[in-house]
Amino acid sequence: MKKYIIVSLLAAFFIVGCTDLDEQVYDKIDANEFYDSEIGADAALASVYALIPGNWDGKGLIGADRGYYDLNNMSTDEQVVPHRVTGDWEPDFAWFHKRMWTPGHGFINNAWNWLYDCVFHANLAVELLENANADNEVVAEAKVLRAFFYYLLMDDFGNVPFFTDNNLTVDQIPQKSRAEIFDFIVTELEDNVAFLSEEKGGSYYGRFNKWAGYALLAKVYLNAEVYTGTPKWQECLNACEALEEGGFSLHPAVSDASHPNGNTYFELFGDQCPDDEVILALYIELDVVGRNITTIRSFGGTDGALLFGETVSTWNGTIIPTEFLNQFDDIDIRKRQFRYGSEPFGPRPAGFIVYDPEEDNYIDPGAERDGGARSMKWWPAGTVNGGGASNDFPIYRYADMLLMKAECLVQQNKAGEAKPFVDQVRERAGLDALNADPTLEDIYNERSKELSLEGHKRQDMIRFGTFTKAHGEDENGDPIVPAVDSHYELFPIPTAAIDANPSLQQNTGY
Amino acid sequence: MNQKMIHKRENVLKVLFLLFVFVNACFIQTAHAESGRSDIYSMQQNVTCSGTVSDELGGPIPGVSVIVKGTTIGTITDINGNYTLSDVSNDAILVFSFIGMRNKEVAVNGQITINVTLEQDMIGLDEVVAVGYGVTKKMDLTGASSNISTDDLNQGAVTNPLQQMAGRAVGVNITQVGSEPGSAPSVRIRGITSLSGGNDPLVVIDGIQGDMSMFNQLAPSEIENVDILKDASATAIYGSRGAPGVIIVTTKKAKAGHKSIEYSGSYSVDMLANKLDFYSADEYRSQMAAWQVPGEVDHGADTDWYDILTQIGSTQNHTVAFGGGTGDFNYRASVSAILQEGVVINSSNNNYIARLTATQKGLDDKLTLTLNMNNSIRQNVGSPSGVGRAQFTGNLISNAYFAKPTDPVYDVDGSYYYDENVFQYMNPYAVAQEVENDREEKSMFTSLRADLEIVEGLKAGWFGSWRKVSEESGYYASPKSTLYSAMDKDGIANVRSNFKEDRLMDISLNYDKVIGKHKIAALAVYEWQRNTYQGHFAQSKGFINDVFTYNKLEAGSEGSIDLGDMTSYKNDRTVVSVLGRVNYTFNEKYLLTASLRRDGASVFGDNYKWGNFPSASLAWRVSEEGFMQGQDLVSNLKLRVGYGVTGNQQGLYPQASLLLVEPSDTLFFGGEEIKNFRINQNANPDLRWETRKQLNLGVDYGLFNGKVYGAIDVFSATTDNLLFSYDVPRPPYPNPSMYANVGSLVNEGIEFAVNYIPLKKGDWEVNLGANFSLLRTEVKTLSGKIGETVIDTEIVSWGSYNAFLKEGDAIGTFYILQNAGKDNSNSELVADINNDGTIDTGIRSEDRYKAGQALPKYNFAFTPSVKYKNFDLSMVWRGAGGNKIFNYIKKSFSTYENLGKSNLLKTSSNTGLSTTMYNSDLWLEDGDFVRFENLSVGYTFNTDRLKYISKMRLSLTGNNLAVFTKYTGLDPEVDVSGGSGSGADVGIYPRTRSFSLGLNVTF
Repeated sequence: MKKYIIVSLLAAFFIVGCTDLDEQVYDKIDANEFYDSEIGADAALASVYALIPGNWDGKGLIGADRGYYDLNNMSTDEQVVPHRVTGDWEPDFAWFHKRMWTPGHGFINNAWNWLYDCVFHANLAVELLENANADNEVVAEAKVLRAFFYYLLMDDFGNVPFFTDNNLTVDQIPQKSRAEIFDFIVTELEDNVAFLSEEKGGSYYGRFNKWAGYALLAKVYLNAEVYTGTPKWQECLNACEALEEGGFSLHPAVSDASHPNGNTYFELFGDQCPDDEVILALYIELDVVGRNITTIRSFGGTDGALLFGETVSTWNGTIIPTEFLNQFDDIDIRKRQFRYGSEPFGPRPAGFIVYDPEEDNYIDPGAERDGGARSMKWWPAGTVNGGGASNDFPIYRYADMLLMKAECLVQQNKAGEAKPFVDQVRERAGLDALNADPTLEDIYNERSKELSLEGHKRQDMIRFGTFTKAHGEDENGDPIVPAVDSHYELFPIPTAAIDANPSLQQNTGY
Repeated sequence: MNQKMIHKRENVLKVLFLLFVFVNACFIQTAHAESGRSDIYSMQQNVTCSGTVSDELGGPIPGVSVIVKGTTIGTITDINGNYTLSDVSNDAILVFSFIGMRNKEVAVNGQITINVTLEQDMIGLDEVVAVGYGVTKKMDLTGASSNISTDDLNQGAVTNPLQQMAGRAVGVNITQVGSEPGSAPSVRIRGITSLSGGNDPLVVIDGIQGDMSMFNQLAPSEIENVDILKDASATAIYGSRGAPGVIIVTTKKAKAGHKSIEYSGSYSVDMLANKLDFYSADEYRSQMAAWQVPGEVDHGADTDWYDILTQIGSTQNHTVAFGGGTGDFNYRASVSAILQEGVVINSSNNNYIARLTATQKGLDDKLTLTLNMNNSIRQNVGSPSGVGRAQFTGNLISNAYFAKPTDPVYDVDGSYYYDENVFQYMNPYAVAQEVENDREEKSMFTSLRADLEIVEGLKAGWFGSWRKVSEESGYYASPKSTLYSAMDKDGIANVRSNFKEDRLMDISLNYDKVIGKHKIAALAVYEWQRNTYQGHFAQSKGFINDVFTYNKLEAGSEGSIDLGDMTSYKNDRTVVSVLGRVNYTFNEKYLLTASLRRDGASVFGDNYKWGNFPSASLAWRVSEEGFMQGQDLVSNLKLRVGYGVTGNQQGLYPQASLLLVEPSDTLFFGGEEIKNFRINQNANPDLRWETRKQLNLGVDYGLFNGKVYGAIDVFSATTDNLLFSYDVPRPPYPNPSMYANVGSLVNEGIEFAVNYIPLKKGDWEVNLGANFSLLRTEVKTLSGKIGETVIDTEIVSWGSYNAFLKEGDAIGTFYILQNAGKDNSNSELVADINNDGTIDTGIRSEDRYKAGQALPKYNFAFTPSVKYKNFDLSMVWRGAGGNKIFNYIKKSFSTYENLGKSNLLKTSSNTGLSTTMYNSDLWLEDGDFVRFENLSVGYTFNTDRLKYISKMRLSLTGNNLAVFTKYTGLDPEVDVSGGSGSGADVGIYPRTRSFSLGLNVTF
């Protein structure tokens, strides 16, 4: 009997001692605990910004391969990564450039996923900051960020699911019309931008201060007609006027032999964006925060080591279509951002590649290895390697605002008032002033040259009605990119999103 | 060797033998004395009996126990099968018994010489087999399980014990994808039970529970028995880990009174079994010319990259084992080395294992203590995986396909050739030579079992085991390797350590009682387990030269430390269980087993911390009934029925149910670079085990006096609460997918196993074994709820190449676009099946059509063996079919847009495709195959005249001798695990064909 007692006691001891099944967490933090703490709310706002720079996997605003930037730029007439006759690069970029995209295309899915990740974290930041009774300034910043993401979503996809509270189920998240989203964005910005900090640079570098907020508001109004059918030119002008208080000016453009592109104009695209002109910058430090691949992805293999550093291997990817290149005047200092021919802009070390600016074949059999002019607008700065460079990226800058003002004035039949704004931009680029009042076409062309590769082209083409037109010309005189119907002005909602939520309504035509 | 020495040894041997007999005699005598029976002393007219015990072939059987029936008086036969038993009563009956033989009883009747021939027990009903937490006699089994004993294991160049079991157990599919040194085969018992929750069976080696990596610690030659529990009534005793089946391994133990020294070894030559047909340099040039690829990409060489990267490999296997003991103590120790040199250059695996088991009895034999210790060191040099360029990433050897035959290996200056003009150019030979990829895994476990007989029939047990696996790896990629990351960063070096700890403790009570015709065995167990996972990683870049490799990380350049270059982690899992089982047998004919287990686990979500796993099974030994006597058609017949509920928690990783924040990348905020913290996953407090309910009907049969025997099983299993990574809508979830228990699937199958002994006479013994299984899977539902979110879906992707899970279809059903030729720019066209004018590539696309499934519908094996005199021969033929394979390698190397960039398959000229936007059925092929897996011929030497050698066998084995298949890829056995490449051939490490010479000697 004694044995039984000992055994049962022993058993009881172990059983009582070892039934704790609460999960121990050693290397992470419970989310509620973290966000309830003081650092949690700040961290929530900061981690929204963490999502903006691009990295691999198609995430981020710019810098990454196959994400939002490629979606909005490879689809325009200003750049393409062609398939090469030597076998390099699959034709997926070229297909995209030719507007052969389908809802299953990776760029589309990547951009969608990235943007909704941003919305979720912006919602989280708003909620946490409001709960923590944070300053209006900080809450407003989170709300403006969220409006920014909805603006990007609505701009690309039209009617999109809308939610500002994360604790919802999918059936509580309606797909709202583009116009409804537009109203939300406008209201949110009008209510909050005034609270934003007026500080420029320093701890507000790369953040939405008041001026960046007005720039965003102006952008939303500028395209209002596309989004809602009703133009908002005066509202756009008002936002641009409000922004003037920030004291912006065009960054000087003078010859500068020390810069590879030979002009101080290109400081706008250097390691850090100058805050005289740049209203909102994206901070990039390669391998730490984001990456800027624009130039590394463009140049041919051997040029990398010759021009950017011994171990830098460049990708021989992006080229500038001939037609786009040809719109630049030879004296236009902005033409120095392109590299082609035997006497190119920039350094000419022995053995540099002579790029042939005339390239009209992107898929079958593909471009020649040295075919197509290359982009060096962001001459690699800061830390550089084969994975990219550290150039910051201007999201909004004053030259854009000037041209927006001009556009609104021309739309309001005040072309005479618009002229000085256009001329300012032209003269900085080394061109003469216009000899007549600007037309919409003048403004379109000026935007195209001034803001090339900066991520505005798709929006501009749609607003000016050129997006679905044919462009380029091949050896048979046929367009390289044939005209398409207007449904291509919206991207399709990605297949994966519809697969996960079949109640989503696909955009017309897809 | 002089006569004197031989003489001396002979004497030693004699002394040892005498000692052996003496110890046995003592044991039997002691047992007798203790039994306290004295009636035999009253017997009159006692005689001395002697004789020889032999087998059917006339060979003597040593070690047969000869006991006077009803007493414990007895002896055992000597080396020559002789025995002598004195003082035996005239009317006594002698019982002769030996494992694997039928017992024989002979009445003495005054005879002084009794020679006996024992017959082999073909069915082995008396064999003891392992069930969970105990053993039972095979005849008492009520569940479905397969037993493989050491003699049935496949021979040859074996590096992992699982390879020995391939084809040997019906319903147990052991698949080896490629022959990479150190790579383990995958095992699926009765198909796939879970979609992503893990399908690896639970492995139990001498009571220690663990995952498949336990097999790395087990020397193939040290296995005594393998029992594979298949149906839920058998595995429910393992509760939330039992659903994928259980493999129970019992290792060899020393027998009391036996001393043995054994050596077993083999050496094999491994060669490529198959090679894909790619263009030679000249053929490539003419292709380039034909498709107007500019000559600038032709670098004038003639290189067979595949040839350069492969070699003839070898596998060696050596084990020395010894053991011995007395009545209350015995031990066995062994040391093994398994040394493998791969067929791809610079890939190898060396595994060294040492083990010791010791058993001591005490307290008048009421207490048994068993210690088990095992240490192993595994050193692996891995062929780099995941290398390549943006367009093609894979293992190193598949990059040999990518490399152009017109590119040289070396540049004129003697460095590795590198083409700067090509985006992310890679020279695979440089990678093989200039990347160090070393791994060392140290495993140790120790367990102690204590069994105490409290009163007769009642036993208490305590078992504790502690296993620790430390994996340490070092990696260095020199900039010379031509890997773009290494060139970019001037060399990358890292070291990584992962530690895994499994601790288990259980306390058990066993009760056995026979009351007349009723036999009861009951078991109760409390069990506690904790698995801890921990590790760290450090990386540095930018080295002045290649001297340090990964041995001096601080030699990397200042400021080269990026995000992710330093990491560490720790998490754990605790499982607490109570379980009970009752076995009841009536009249040796009617058997009932019932069990219940209750499991709680820390990894389960807050709303489901505990689960119950019951089972019950019945068996009827029909052949024991009176009406079955007096006929010789059916010698054994047993009907079984079982039902059980099991679980699977493999797919539940620690912390998966919680909403957690973790440090991630660096961000720029407030004018400085700061650390980002963010939510890393979607929370799911409802996360729990998968539940599998299985019904099994089985028949064990023996016909024609046991000449034909086997089993037939039919089962139907439903897995509910399927764990799967569902694409959840974003919004509202921050992450695009999450693990949730949604949906259910059904597995149904029939398994036939048959053995036929057509000839067993004189010098001949022929055994024909065969098995065949049919498996049908069906996805029942995928829809369900995650919290409040309704997951309403009838189809999700399975793998990444057109295989899907769709309600009503088999797991991994292909829905694929149909090739419709090509357009005039040679771009692939596919059929617009729904005629809506567009090609939809979405998963619900109506342009897709159903084109078979990725999982084989049937599996079969044929395992004949023949013995003639000293020769033995055995074969394994194995096959599967009814499945399709998406040949991604063929797709990748068949379009001429890649000319100039990569080599192409010769078959590419048949299609003449320039490019394709689709993964169409052009690349979908039949996966049926028959493999001549193993042929082994052995010769056992006559050791009668050898003084010190009691057994010696020499064997020659061929592995993977032939594959009969229509599949055009390298090998038809591809990954069907459910991961990202499932059902597709994405490029495997080559499968080898090997020839090995083996030697087994027992001293």
